[in-house]
Amino acid sequence: MSETTREPDARRLATEARDRVRFEEDALALSDQVYRVARHLVGSREEAEDLMQETYARAFRSWRSFQPGTNLRAWLLRILTNLNIDRGRRQQRTPDQQPLEESDYFLYNRLEAAADGGTSDEQRVVERLSQNDVVAALSEVPHDFRDVVVLVDIGDFTYADAAQILDIPIGTVMSRLHRGRRILKQAMAETAVGGEE
Amino acid sequence: MTAADPCSHCEEMMQPFMDRVLTDVERAEAETHLDECAYCRKRYRFEEHLRVFVRHAVQAEPMPIELKTKLQELRTPLQ
Repeated sequence: MSETTREPDARRLATEARDRVRFEEDALALSDQVYRVARHLVGSREEAEDLMQETYARAFRSWRSFQPGTNLRAWLLRILTNLNIDRGRRQQRTPDQQPLEESDYFLYNRLEAAADGGTSDEQRVVERLSQNDVVAALSEVPHDFRDVVVLVDIGDFTYADAAQILDIPIGTVMSRLHRGRRILKQAMAETAVGGEE
Repeated sequence: MTAADPCSHCEEMMQPFMDRVLTDVERAEAETHLDECAYCRKRYRFEEHLRVFVRHAVQAEPMPIELKTKLQELRTPLQ
């Protein structure tokens, strides 16, 4: 082998190694944000931790398929949601039937009614819910709806990003998001004032 | 027109309003109604507040430090 063929080869390898290191650093820098979303796509912390490790292992293996300049956080979450679906983790948790959600003013109306015409500060009532209550209410939302709510409202993804991550049309993202938020509010109402209907 | 109509229309507009996906005309329509209607205004304000509250409540749990270490260990070793 001559020097002339070895040198460009070595340079190529060095460039690739540098790109890979940068990719891995960028991906790890996003891990907190990815975790916050992952934590609420699955039922438990343990599942979220397993899923994060599988996702990063897969991402580090297939880093070459990431297109620099595109949204890395969305790319990582696409891997994560696909792994989550592949594992069938979601199946056992959610029944097939979809709940009937109430209207958008429902939670406010319930809190107002519960205050019984007295001095109702509805915002305070909601704030009496603990973090755990909100997390529990969110986990009651069926996964199809929850995935979208988590990506858009917690992960701050656009409708278009969420559509790409979940591989569904934008119109489906919007309708699931709207219904998912209503279901969440219903679950919160039950926690805040009890489901006495 | 009955009084309930504009309010239920306003309720329908609430999520797209807050997501900023209404057209200019629809948005102006909703704003006009909100200016006149305390019933809807209170509910919109509540919703805004609720979204922030939910986001904070749900994001509060940080990633466990051990997980961070495990992810670091998945990195490709440097040759």
